[in-house]
Formats: sequence, structure tokens, C-alpha cells
Amino acid sequence: MENNFFGEETAVILGMGELRVGTCPMGTIGLGSCIALILHDQRRSLAGLAHIMLPESHGNTDRPGKFADTAISVLLEEMEKFGSTKFSIAAIVVGGAKMFQFSADSLNIGERNAAVVKDLLQEQGIRIEYEEIGGKVGRSVYYWPEKKGRLIIKRADGTCIAL
Amino acid sequence: MELDAIQKDALAEFGNIGAAHAATTLSQMLMSPIEMTVPEVQAVDIAELHNYISNEISAVVVFQIQGEVADGGYIVVSMPRETVIQLTNRMLGTTDADREINEMDQSAAIEIGNIMISAFLDATAELLDIVMLPSPPALAIDMAHAAFESIIAQMAGDVNDVLIFNTELTSEAPPVYGGIYLLPNAELMQQLFLMLKRLMEPLP
Repeated sequence: MENNFFGEETAVILGMGELRVGTCPMGTIGLGSCIALILHDQRRSLAGLAHIMLPESHGNTDRPGKFADTAISVLLEEMEKFGSTKFSIAAIVVGGAKMFQFSADSLNIGERNAAVVKDLLQEQGIRIEYEEIGGKVGRSVYYWPEKKGRLIIKRADGTCIAL
Repeated sequence: MELDAIQKDALAEFGNIGAAHAATTLSQMLMSPIEMTVPEVQAVDIAELHNYISNEISAVVVFQIQGEVADGGYIVVSMPRETVIQLTNRMLGTTDADREINEMDQSAAIEIGNIMISAFLDATAELLDIVMLPSPPALAIDMAHAAFESIIAQMAGDVNDVLIFNTELTSEAPPVYGGIYLLPNAELMQQLFLMLKRLMEPLP
């Protein structure tokens, strides 16, 4: 769907399983059980965003952004190429909602996604700067990597936060 | 995943029969005519899904396809919020259209989904001479794309695209609008291709 939220041509909207590292504004639209993982290096105005769909890759490497384990390692790798170190990187984790009522657990992968992402970040020693996970509501996430970074989360219930 | 012209045609026809029955059922329930579009069949890369599924607040009713094709994928009815409210009003004889979704709307959405999808699967299963049954429904009232994510996450662990059948149902009075999406998994899709191929073979 068309999205003019950024009002800037350089902005990138990432679909399911995609990841990107750069200095341009980035976002994901209609986040449900997936996780938007943002790694931000304030000193370099650099950020990486992954639209993570599932917790474990089980050795699948063709789309690193799709799985929590591969997404985190590839994001870090790419950011290190730009000179970032783990100590200069902070993380923002958004998503992992439980979308369906009256349903078996099979449709509620969100909780597991969130847990795995957080575990992996801890393992890597990356500080979580902000998180908004779980709940029953879809979200859109927009991020501007410049300087301290700017985050906007629009929730499906109409509420919106900006940081 | 690339679909050739014959596969696309066969699948569209398959969706057409199912959707026609679903539309008829809805039309009987509302006692008003329902228009439907010929289904579009598309193999969509998961990264592109947000270009196909809107971000509008919708009632998304999901069924797993069961029966002879165990764990066959999902079938979904998606209706924008306004449509759900219209349909509830129609069934209850109320008129307040400018309100939030309430519990009555949620039950109505599930019920409408149930009836339409049962008709869809009944008709298509008969065509293929197999048993296809919907699981009990699950409902999300949220951004449609956010709801679809959870479904796709269940299906696309190993593959990067999903097959979407999209039929739109519309009506003038009351103004309703909705879509049916069929998301078969790889095995069901293979089965569909085989069965449809057999159907199209000339008689000996």
C-alpha cells in the first residue's frame, strides 16, 4: 500500500524477512507477530532494521532477515563494516503481538519471537534501549537513524508514540 | 515460485467456484445481491506482502484447512471495519454505523466467515472429490497485514513465497466489501495442481 509517512524519498519500507543497514529512514508497516529489531549506533547515525518472522533459522541462510538468529548476526556484521562496535550499539525491539483470539497457540508465534530476540541480544551483550513487545495490537514502526535516533510507533488502536 | 498460464487458469477457476458459492451464501443471508470479482491468483514473495494486503483496520477471520488434506494451509476472510459494522447492523436491524467494533460485531464477523468459508470449501472439495473442512475460526480485528503476518509465519518457514487467491465481494445495499484469501501450503498446492490437471484431461 502507498505510504507517505516519511515524506522523504530515501525512506525504505522493509517487508517480511528483509533487513537493511544504513543511514536512511527505515520502517515496517503492519507488524503483527513479527519483530522489528532496530540496532542503532548513535555515534555514526547508523542503524540496522530487520523484519524478523520466526525465531530459528535451522541452518537456512538464504534470507537472514527472516529469522532472529541470522538477522542479529548479519545486522551486526554489516554494522561492523561501517566501524560500529557492539559497545556503541543499542537495540530497540518492537512487535511480537498475539493477533488471534480463540485460536490454538500455533498462530501465536509472536511471544516466542520476542523471547528469542531478547535472549540473543543479551548473549551478544547488546543493551536494549527501548522495547514494546507482546500485546494484542498490530503496529507500524518508523525509524530515523540520525544522531540520537527518532522512533515512531503507530498502533492499530490509533495510539501513537514518538521517541 | 512461477505459475504457468495453465496453472493460473486452473487455480482461478477453482477459486471462482468456491468464491461463487461463498458469495451466494452471503447474498442469501443478507437478502441482497452480491457482486464478485474473478479471483486473481498470485504467487507473492513474503517481502512484498505489504504491497498486496492493506494496512486498514479489518476483521480477519482465519481457518485452517483440514480434512483429507491434513494441515493444508489457511483460508481467510478479510473485511474492513465499516463492512463488519454494516453487516451486524443488517442482521440485528440496528442502524448506528458510527461506532467502535463491539462483541456483537466480532461474533457476526466469525459467523459470516464461517458460513462463507464452509460454502467455499464444500464447493471446491466437491469439484476435486475430496473432503476439505475448515478448522474452528480465529479472529483478529487489527491491521490486515499484521494479522496476515501471523498466518504466513506459520506457513513460510522454508519457502519465501505464498500463493494468494484473492476474490473481492461487494454489494451496494448495504455497502459491504470483503476479500477471500486462500493460502495453500506446498503439499495442498501440489495436490491441487494434480487434481486440476486430471480434471482438464479429455475423456478417453
